[in-house]
Amino acid sequence: MFKAIVRAERLQSTLDSVGVLVDECKIHLDEGGIEIRAVDPANVGMVDLSLDADAFESYEADGGLIGVNLVRLQDIAGMADSDQLVELELDEETRKLHISIDGLEYTLALIDPESIREEPDLPDLDLSSTIVIEGRDIDRAVTAADMVSDHIELGVDEADGVFYVKAEGDTDDVHLELDGDDLIDLVAGEASSLFSLDYLQDMNKAIPKDAEVTMELGEEFPVKLHFDIAEGEGAVTYMLAPRIQSN
Amino acid sequence: MRLEEFIEDFERDEAADRRRLAREKSYEITDHLDDVEQQFERVVQGDSLFGSTAPEIFVGRSNYPDVSTGLLSPMDREADAAQFATSGEWYQQGLGVEEVLQRRTGLLNSTRSAQVNVRDVWDGFVGVQREVAIADQPVDVELGLDGSPEIDLSLDDISTPTGPRARATDATLAENPSVPRAVEKTLEDDDWQAEGAMTYLYRRGFDVYEINTILSAGALGRGRNRRLVPTRWSITAVDDTVGQYLRGSIRNAPSIDEVQVWYNEYMANDYWIILAPGNWEFELVELKAPGSIWNPDGGGEYYMAADSEGYTGRDSYVDETSGAYYASRLAVLERLADIDRQATCLVIRHASDGYWAPVGVWQIREGIRHAFEEGQPAVAETFHDAVRGLAGELPVSLGALRRKSELVTGVQSQLADF
Repeated sequence: MFKAIVRAERLQSTLDSVGVLVDECKIHLDEGGIEIRAVDPANVGMVDLSLDADAFESYEADGGLIGVNLVRLQDIAGMADSDQLVELELDEETRKLHISIDGLEYTLALIDPESIREEPDLPDLDLSSTIVIEGRDIDRAVTAADMVSDHIELGVDEADGVFYVKAEGDTDDVHLELDGDDLIDLVAGEASSLFSLDYLQDMNKAIPKDAEVTMELGEEFPVKLHFDIAEGEGAVTYMLAPRIQSN
Repeated sequence: MRLEEFIEDFERDEAADRRRLAREKSYEITDHLDDVEQQFERVVQGDSLFGSTAPEIFVGRSNYPDVSTGLLSPMDREADAAQFATSGEWYQQGLGVEEVLQRRTGLLNSTRSAQVNVRDVWDGFVGVQREVAIADQPVDVELGLDGSPEIDLSLDDISTPTGPRARATDATLAENPSVPRAVEKTLEDDDWQAEGAMTYLYRRGFDVYEINTILSAGALGRGRNRRLVPTRWSITAVDDTVGQYLRGSIRNAPSIDEVQVWYNEYMANDYWIILAPGNWEFELVELKAPGSIWNPDGGGEYYMAADSEGYTGRDSYVDETSGAYYASRLAVLERLADIDRQATCLVIRHASDGYWAPVGVWQIREGIRHAFEEGQPAVAETFHDAVRGLAGELPVSLGALRRKSELVTGVQSQLADF
């Protein structure tokens, strides 16, 4: 069984942070809250999201698994004003999700979870650097890089103790350096990896500007971006595979 | 499909510049145009009635949706009309730039202006034109012409050149055209979206040349959407649509397992195609020599253009390489679909100054299609090794190439690689 009430804004941002990567996903309805893990069709970007029971106004579940069309669910959730309450209830018999928003009833047909791409294992990566940075600084870097290029290099200069962002276009370049004073925290090791801006922009959309983002970087390794949602009652981790420059 | 996506700005004086350049490059073409004028006077009888065999049609794009629409037919009545229509056979016959221009200047474009909306139009000039487009053989027609033709050559980077133009007063069929069964099927079903119908014809063995003529005549798509499609747009639309179909067919295919470099040269264009293990990813980089038709400043630098797409394709029309992108992508996808593999693919096209007049994107499509048919590929350890290996043959530095090319900068890896 699953029955929950949640503030629309919270539901919307939760769905959006997964929706930037995939159109459909599996949702685990555990006793302690919901969990979603999904990888995009190209197996390049991944999201791991949890939203605790405490993040809901009310929450009851006993460990089910449903498959949803995220695009449709996002549309429905988008019908609500941000401070309205959304009621969700799973009908086990018909395998439909009943959604009600202030008298508006929507019955969403679910997708067989078996038919959705398998959930990825989180690769165990040994990443040399950890950068704790504000969401708005990531936004600034990504926005500037997008003006000149389709890709962005993220790196750490261990000797100088700085985190840097580089983008090179046909003619123009963007460079940004943040040292220990600009960052919330920095554990510096040699790191530099190139990433597709398409993906990073999508992820950036879902990162709150005031979030504290923990970024883990290595040498031509995937980047991990971790941040809390729902006032600490939920968390999102993104992982993005690099573009390989060397071989 | 949204046709607007295939529309680009077109400067009239640019077209004039290209014609002037082409003439300067070959006085033979100017002489040839004079011959054409004399030939025309011989074949057209006093009352301006002109009997000919039309293998192809042309739909202009200026003034859309009031376009100039034409029947193309050779002025030499003894000639084999089918030889004048653009097709992959031109490559096999080894046609060069000069021969293409000669062939096309011998082809009279009898035009009328028409509304593109042709849902039920099967009579009159447009009706005859549509019959010619859907027929599998050149069709005998009688054309009424209004005055002498304008002897000229019209060049475009996507469409095949067209030659002299005359205004037509009317056209009648002199025979019953033979229409292939599959085309009848797409024609009769007016609830079939154009994309699906194009793909159907392709799977039934029609090449893109035939399909774009049929699309151009407004013979595909849902009834209310059927309209004449300017030749230039229909070429790109078919390359794009068939390409998307082929891309879908290799979406879950295994990757190739080695880095291959294929090469071909056609009409003073060099093509290098690097296929590397990985997901489908594609980029075309064009290097255009100073002094060539697209980069007329003889003392200047190489002009570089590039466009690319990732695993899921593009959401918008390309910015820099226009129809060349879709033609080259199609040729590569045909190869991959053929071997049921996907790959990360970089195509580098070098248009040297020997490519002195544009003959249309068919040249690119065939140049790349045949790269895979002739000889064996070179093999490299990694994608970047392959690029470094080519560096010596390219007219630009590796640094310049890296700045321009998304793939040369970095090849997308997958999470599963770590």
